[in-house]
Amino acid sequence: MATVWRSQCAFARFFVGKTGRILNNAADLGIKLTPESISVSTTRSYSNYSHSPLVKKIKEQYDFEIEKNPPEWAYVERLLPLEIIPPVQPKETYPSGWIPPKEEAKDLPYFMPRTKNHELPIYLVITHKGQRKVSMLRKIEGDIWLMNDLIKEHLQKNFNRYIETRVHELGRFIEVKGDFVNSLREWAYSKGF
Amino acid sequence: MGSRQITEKSLAMLRSLPRLSLGNIRDNPGSRKNIKRGRGQHGGDKHGAGNKGSGQRQNYMRLGYETGNNPFYLRMPHEHYYKGHHHRRQYPPISLLEIQKLIDTNRLDITKPIDIASIVRSGLYNFFPDQKHFGIHLTDEGMDIFSAKVNIEVQWASEQVIAAIEKNGGVITTAYYDPHSLILLKNPKSFFQTGQAIPRRMIPPPDVIEYYTSAEMRGYLADPEKISEERLRLSQKYGYQLPILESDKNYNMLCERKDPRQIFYGLEPGWVINLRDKCILKPKDEELLQFYAS
Repeated sequence: MATVWRSQCAFARFFVGKTGRILNNAADLGIKLTPESISVSTTRSYSNYSHSPLVKKIKEQYDFEIEKNPPEWAYVERLLPLEIIPPVQPKETYPSGWIPPKEEAKDLPYFMPRTKNHELPIYLVITHKGQRKVSMLRKIEGDIWLMNDLIKEHLQKNFNRYIETRVHELGRFIEVKGDFVNSLREWAYSKGF
Repeated sequence: MGSRQITEKSLAMLRSLPRLSLGNIRDNPGSRKNIKRGRGQHGGDKHGAGNKGSGQRQNYMRLGYETGNNPFYLRMPHEHYYKGHHHRRQYPPISLLEIQKLIDTNRLDITKPIDIASIVRSGLYNFFPDQKHFGIHLTDEGMDIFSAKVNIEVQWASEQVIAAIEKNGGVITTAYYDPHSLILLKNPKSFFQTGQAIPRRMIPPPDVIEYYTSAEMRGYLADPEKISEERLRLSQKYGYQLPILESDKNYNMLCERKDPRQIFYGLEPGWVINLRDKCILKPKDEELLQFYAS
């Protein structure tokens, strides 16, 4: 850093007392120069375009009517991006199949909150060019081992075969070997998550 | 000395040290590469370029060239239906199911007309006008469960999608936007911040004029009377009772349409939006008014 500043100061040394020469370059010992303060003297003959004075103000060519807080501002506000993801207002029915989380799920010894987009954090992770499919349950709070046992039991009952799972207590996720996302979602909805 | 004392001492040491800043950190190991070409044991000999050939001489063969073989890309006869694929318009799809989900989770407001700007605003749909994307293709997935009354404007829709929306008492319009207008619709805020006047929407290119003027496809350039005839015809074809628009309490909202030259609802071309001062600059000059009206 020090070397950079020294070199800039060395550059500015040439302009001490000749601020008129510095046009848009504001690296002059910390003083911010406005175009007015460094305007070129009018006695100069303009043999070169760089000696001519700066353009001060562009004349507005067209006439505009300026309306403060017009009634059309509602249309502008409609276009501005959402500040936050809107919370879901409770409705009678959700035709799309989206299910709201239930209150009673909070009493269970384990818990899985919704994501910021109000969805369940259950994903299918596909690796090795589609050869390895793992269903992943994320963001688990509370007794993850109990939840793991229940999931295993539920899947074993539904699919009638041994289900392999892996629990990461610190990362708060359970991995289930195979694609069981739909079944796991159903289970999570039944628990009220 | 116990471990507690060590901790205390090291913490005290840490406190007396200068704060971590850009001025006293070192680069990550391996982040800076020596640009010198080493000699001898310091990476000399071939300098990592391999033995002979393209690697050393940088005369890489053109793509697809197989050193004299009949190249793979010329081996089979050409497939003419791909001709000009890089010039074709694309319409990234969104399904009725997804639209219904956006409505259920309060991402879309059905009390106002829905267009591509409001769908992009929900944050769960994106498109890229610079990659020949020309807007939304509304697909029929979830048309049986769709049950919202909406005034929606998309760029491409099929007959059954139109039927699914009109069955619920909604209105659908297919409208064309040129890429420049789509850039504005994708991110209106950044456009308003540039302080430019809202431009006009361009008319569709010749090959889609037919689509956007046809009443069957609910084109925005079609005759409204023909559209109402087609609405009735479609309801008879698919066998549902067409809800009467005129007796609806949201009649005004359902009838809201954009002008063929208009990009945003309620904002006319030529206006300048000042977000900071919350004011709108409307041109008064006759020349400008004529330009934006044409």
